[in-house]
Amino acid sequence: MKPPVIELDNLHVKIGKREILRGLNLELRGLTVGLLGPNGAGKSTLINTLLGFWKPTQGTARVMGYDVRTDARKIRANIGYMPENDSFIANMPAISFVRMAAELSGLPPDAALERAHEALFYVGLGEARYRVLGAYSLGMKQMAKLAQAIVHGPKLVILDEPTNGLDPQARVRMIKLIQEMRALGNMHLVICSHLLRDIEETCEEAVILKAGQVVHYSNLEEERSSNRRFVELETEGDDGTFADAIELLGCACAVTSPGKIKTVLPEGIELRDIYRLAADRDVQLRRLNFRRDSLEDIFLKAMEK
Amino acid sequence: MAVYKRTYRGYSGPLTSPTWRFTVLQRYAFKAVFKSRLLLIGYVACFFAPLALICALYLNQNATLLAMVGQKTGFMKIDAALFLNFLSVQGVLAGLVTAFVGPSLVAPDLTNGALSVYLARPFSRSEYILGKGMVLGTMIGSITLLPGLLAFAVQSSLVGWTWFVDNLYLGVGITLSCLVLIAVLMLMGLAMSAFVRWKIVAGALILASFAAGKGFAAVINEVMRTKIGYFLDVQHLLSTVSGALLHHPVTEGTSPWAAALALVVFCGFLLMLINRKLRVCEVAG
Repeated sequence: MKPPVIELDNLHVKIGKREILRGLNLELRGLTVGLLGPNGAGKSTLINTLLGFWKPTQGTARVMGYDVRTDARKIRANIGYMPENDSFIANMPAISFVRMAAELSGLPPDAALERAHEALFYVGLGEARYRVLGAYSLGMKQMAKLAQAIVHGPKLVILDEPTNGLDPQARVRMIKLIQEMRALGNMHLVICSHLLRDIEETCEEAVILKAGQVVHYSNLEEERSSNRRFVELETEGDDGTFADAIELLGCACAVTSPGKIKTVLPEGIELRDIYRLAADRDVQLRRLNFRRDSLEDIFLKAMEK
Repeated sequence: MAVYKRTYRGYSGPLTSPTWRFTVLQRYAFKAVFKSRLLLIGYVACFFAPLALICALYLNQNATLLAMVGQKTGFMKIDAALFLNFLSVQGVLAGLVTAFVGPSLVAPDLTNGALSVYLARPFSRSEYILGKGMVLGTMIGSITLLPGLLAFAVQSSLVGWTWFVDNLYLGVGITLSCLVLIAVLMLMGLAMSAFVRWKIVAGALILASFAAGKGFAAVINEVMRTKIGYFLDVQHLLSTVSGALLHHPVTEGTSPWAAALALVVFCGFLLMLINRKLRVCEVAG
C-alpha cells in the first residue's frame, strides 16, 4: 500500500478561543483529493495547518511523513500552494513573479528563470508572460497563481478554489489542466472547492468537512465503479412483461411508471444482454442511462448528518 | 527542446542555501524600488554631502591648494562635532529615504495578499522581515555608515597613523551610531508600511513621527516644565545616543542611557507591531 500523503490523527486546531478543527482523523493516499464543505467548515484552516501557518492544539498532522509541528519547512519545500484570493504583486511581470517564487523555494536563479518560462507556457500564459500581473484578467491571474505553485516541481500541490470566479471557458481550461497534471502522475493534488462538479471531474477521493469534522470520506473512483451498473430504462412497445424478462436474467428490477424501469445489473450481466432481450421482444429502448449517486447526492447526505 | 513545447516536469537539481535565501527578496525589492527615477535621483543626491566632506578633508590637508587661496592646512577642525553634524545631516536624508522606500516594501504585499505565496514556501516570516528590512538597511547604510567610515578613513590616511589611533573612538562611534540609526529606521519603515497599507499615508506617517514627535516633545516639556517630552522625540534620542558614542554629549535633554533605553523600548514596540501585522491572512472557512 502506498504511504499516505496526508495523515491526520485526532487533529484539533483552535484560532483564538474558537475551535475550528475538532478531531480530524484521515489518511489520504490518492493522487487527487477533493476537500469539500460549506463555509466555516474548516477547509482553509486545514490547509493553513498543513502549510504550518497554524499549529495543532491537539493531535498530529503529517504531510508526506513530516510532522506539521516540527518539520513545517520541509513540508513547504515539497508543497506548491495556490491561494484562493489574489496573491501576487500587481506591478510585477508574471515571469518575474513566478521566477521569484521558484527562487524562494530554493532554485538557483538560472534554473528558476528557465522553469518560470516553462510553467507559464504550461498553464497557457506563454505569450503574456512579460505583462504585469495587475493587467491580467481574473482567469489569467488564476493561471499565474497555478504557475507559481508548480514552478519548483512540488510533490504535493494544494489548490484553494482554483476555478473561483472563472467564466465557463476559463473553468474548462483550468479543469483540463488539473486533469492533465493528475495524468502525469508525478504529483499529488489537493483541491479545495465549493463546486462539487470541479471535484467530481478532477478527484479520486473526496473529503467532506462540516463544523470542523470529517462527515464523509468517499473514494470517488470506487463509488463510480460500484454504482455504474445502476440502470434506468425508458421503453416503448412493452406489454408489461419486459421487466419480468429482465428479472429472469437475474437483475433486481422495479417499474416506477409505465414504460420506466430501474434495474441493477449483477456481475456477469452486461448491457448487451438488455439490448438483446429488447430486440427479441421487439421493445424499443427510448432512453438508457447509468445512474449513480452524484457527488451532490453524497454531499447533501453528508450535510444531513 | 523549445521551452513552449516542454510539458510539466519535476525539479531535482541543486538548491540554494536556505541561510541566504532572504537575499532573493532583497534583490527583487531593490529592482522594484529603483524603478522610480525620482527616488534614484534623490538617492544619488544623498551622496553630495559625503562627497563635499571628503573633498573638504582632502583640501584641509593639501598645503599647495590652500596656499593658492591664502589658507593654511588644518583650517577646518576635524573632531567629533564635525562627524556628529555630518551624521545628523545624513540621518535626516536617511529618514527621507525611509519615508519614500519603506512603504513600498511591505504594504503592496499585504494589500495584494502576497504573504501567503512567500510563506507557503520554505521561507519564514523572520526571513521575510530580514529580506525586506535589508533593502532599507543597505540603502541607509550606504548613505550614513559607508560615507562616515570612508571620511574617517580618508582623514586617517591624510593625517597618519597617530591620528587614527588617537581618534579610533570616532570610527567606533560612527559605526555604532549608524547601526542604531539603521535599526530604528528599518523597523520604523517596515512597521509603518505594515500598519498602514496606503503607501502615501505610511510615508507621511514616518515623516510625521519625526516632525510631530519633536513638536509634541517641545509642547509637553514647555507646558509640564519637564524633560519627559524628549522621549517622544526620536530624532533627539538618536542624536543623544550618537553624541555619547562619539564622545560629544548633547547637553540638553535626556541622559544617553535613558535615550538608549527609550530607543530599545521604541524598537521593541515596532517589532511587536510588525509581528502582529505580518501574518498570513486567515479565512476561517
